[in-house]
Amino acid sequence: MNRWLYGSGGWTGLLGLVVGVGSFGWSLAAEPVEFSSPGFPPSRMDSEGRLVEDWGLVAVRLQGQGLTEGSVKVEAVQLDGCIPAAQATADRGPVRMILTAYRSPIFPAGVDVLTVRLEEKAHQPIHVTLALDLPPQVKVDLTTARIENRIVLSVPLETLALQAVRDWGYCNETTAMPGWAKPEGPADPAFANIRAGMGGIPILYRFKVEPNAQALVVLGLCESHYDRRGIRPILCEVEGARPQWVDPIAQWGRHKPGALLFHARDLDADGQIEIAVRPVPGAPDRNPILNVIWVFPPGKPPDLKKLIAGQLSSSAKYYIDVGGQNDQCFYQVGKLQYPIRLSADEVKELTFWVACPGASAPVPETTTWTPASLRQAARQVCQAWQKK
Amino acid sequence: MCVQHNCSGCVSRRECLKLMGLSAVGAAAWTTSAAAAESEGPGPTDFVDPAKLRPKPEVRIMASFLEMPRPYWLGWPGTAYDLDARQKEYRELLAQSAQRLGIQVDLRPQPINNEADLTAWINQIKQQQPHATLVILQHFACWGWASMVAKQSGLPLIIFSPIGMAFTGHVAGPARTPGIYVVSSLDWHAVEDGLRMVRAKRMFEETRVLWIRGNQRNETVLERLGTKVRAIPRDTFNQEFDKQPVTEEVKELAAQLRKQAAKIVEPNEQDTLNSMRAYVTAKRLLARENANALSMDCLGMVEAKLVPTPPCGAWTLLQDQGLTAGCEADLWGAMSMMLTSYLLDRPGYMNDPVPETVHNTLIAAHCTSGTRIDGFDKPPAPYILRNHSESALGVAMQVLWPEGQPVTLVRFTGPNDLIVDTGKVVGNVQTPPAGGCRTSVEIAMDAVEDCRDVQGFHQVVTLGNHFRVLRGFCELYGIKLVRSPRFSTFI
Repeated sequence: MNRWLYGSGGWTGLLGLVVGVGSFGWSLAAEPVEFSSPGFPPSRMDSEGRLVEDWGLVAVRLQGQGLTEGSVKVEAVQLDGCIPAAQATADRGPVRMILTAYRSPIFPAGVDVLTVRLEEKAHQPIHVTLALDLPPQVKVDLTTARIENRIVLSVPLETLALQAVRDWGYCNETTAMPGWAKPEGPADPAFANIRAGMGGIPILYRFKVEPNAQALVVLGLCESHYDRRGIRPILCEVEGARPQWVDPIAQWGRHKPGALLFHARDLDADGQIEIAVRPVPGAPDRNPILNVIWVFPPGKPPDLKKLIAGQLSSSAKYYIDVGGQNDQCFYQVGKLQYPIRLSADEVKELTFWVACPGASAPVPETTTWTPASLRQAARQVCQAWQKK
Repeated sequence: MCVQHNCSGCVSRRECLKLMGLSAVGAAAWTTSAAAAESEGPGPTDFVDPAKLRPKPEVRIMASFLEMPRPYWLGWPGTAYDLDARQKEYRELLAQSAQRLGIQVDLRPQPINNEADLTAWINQIKQQQPHATLVILQHFACWGWASMVAKQSGLPLIIFSPIGMAFTGHVAGPARTPGIYVVSSLDWHAVEDGLRMVRAKRMFEETRVLWIRGNQRNETVLERLGTKVRAIPRDTFNQEFDKQPVTEEVKELAAQLRKQAAKIVEPNEQDTLNSMRAYVTAKRLLARENANALSMDCLGMVEAKLVPTPPCGAWTLLQDQGLTAGCEADLWGAMSMMLTSYLLDRPGYMNDPVPETVHNTLIAAHCTSGTRIDGFDKPPAPYILRNHSESALGVAMQVLWPEGQPVTLVRFTGPNDLIVDTGKVVGNVQTPPAGGCRTSVEIAMDAVEDCRDVQGFHQVVTLGNHFRVLRGFCELYGIKLVRSPRFSTFI
């Protein structure tokens, strides 16, 4: 048997059977399990179900009323019939938690994919909180956790959506630049500040509404860097509304504040409306910018001239000074905590990307990797290697 | 020209048939040896058919016409537009394109003309997960439906909007939305280009590139493109080369190499035999590793004097056969070559860029240009048999690029960014008096004021102006297209 396939020998011999109370809230631990992909050094799931990497430990905690302590089983498993993985299973009374970790062999050195599966077993709804514990030197941002410049853990956008949320705010890491713009003429003070999606990252905001509700959304823009048209066009998308492509210089001119109206609707009935300002492929500058967001109830659209001049901001349901002092993140940043409601018999999965030895985790805002494509990459490489 | 096994004119028809015979024998031996010794692959005397090394992926596309309920009255395309005639024409063209490209297109028998049918079709798409979708618009009110297909399926979408179905306002948004390629034209070939883009992406996904360098053995997958990168120790190549005898295939190919040269300057017969030993070694390695392309630390190998010949001549031959063979273990250089091979059906020429500051041109210099620069199925460009300039060893072709012809320069700087520039061949620089590399193509850049500002290194030059197709590929797959600065910031 190839070592990379069931490579637990070295660690097993060293650590043996461990007894204690671990992160899961269980009392009996098992043997650690190593996993890797062809040609790369392994990572390890220890006897308590914690992921052991070259930069530190990742522990998963589950808390909630009614949860009990239980035993954990750590074992080597194969995913899709070929991918070597480590799996820890813990029965916590009404909830079973299964952690699965495998190596996805993405170029250049791979990433460990940690999946947390929660299964409701008592046939009734329950509220629990899932939390990730990382070493103290790790700095946690919105979607990434870093030790200096190395991204040691990242949160895919699908998982991020499960974090506790506020009424409105930005939902990805972009750059706030207060005072960047120099709006001319009567202008709302928020036009002076922006967020910029440096490196082509889209600027994403969300705000809460009743499921399926409609709203009027106005995006305020003021380009103060370029004076030529065609350099930084942007694509503005608001959920439920027709997308609008705009070149602020062509439409309004340099330093001239402008506004775009959108008839928004919560299309997917998730109780949130998403706003996205994206770069335009092929544009010379692909760092999108956004200055202001106003949200009004559906009905008669606001007078855009008055709105730009700052006369209607107080009447908006949400008035967002993008990149300004009162701007906020949609998610509760700084903690990797996920309040989760499980319906009777419901199963939920959360995925995290963890830096494996010698590598960094991908940046969720820019990567095209998804949980599905990472798994496919692992499957393809493992199958090809087995054929050899 | 040997059509049957796509050996790109390397041998005569008689020799080709002989090699085909060898191929059958080789394949049997490969199977036997594989069973006996697990993964050893073909032996040094087995024939490996290069055509079988080029990926031939399954490509599935779901397509439909989108129209408004008939009869048409005012509103484009207008009452005079013959829907049935046009749809018959486009059905036939689509079938021909699919056959030419070897892809499967599932065209919905009836046009979609209401939202219920559209929703049902989108659900079918979600279920069947084709590699891309195609909609042919037959009314300018159908653009919203096209956007729904893109958004709800999450798959790449080609929108064909024959003239009469759109104004600028219709096209501008979708055409600049990642994941959508819009053809607003009557030129069907641009739609076929779109289908070709999908096929190229699938070829990337089905490709395993051997990265021959260092002493590691592992395998990874590239983001976005999905290409597998198998790293193998550099010594593997020279050890396999040492095992490679001068077979009949090697002799035939070496003879052809000399015979087809416009002129032979340095290489002797032994050099050409060694060069073709390198070619056969590379094919064997590719077959053994189930790979389709390679990029090797060739300079390091030559520096360490591990092989009697740099692989330049062998790499030229592989490239002419549609197999990417990259220099200096430059992975993204190899991926750029693969792009011209898979998308444009012609070899790309990875090179070192040299600014010529008197003529304000760019000289693209290296020793491994393919000869079938006008297309794999087109006659080769003339070449002079030279040695590898830097080491004065072995065989390298000086390929003479046609003066006055347009060229395109491409370079992946990662999986998400592609530099694309265009220019025109103005000459072939001779060595001597110049130093550097044997093939040195002098290019006047189209839209770069100062040749010193051309972006990238190891760009890949390919014959023809393919900017539109490359831009479409980038749009369809969300790749950032970068151009060298039109106006110099230093003037």
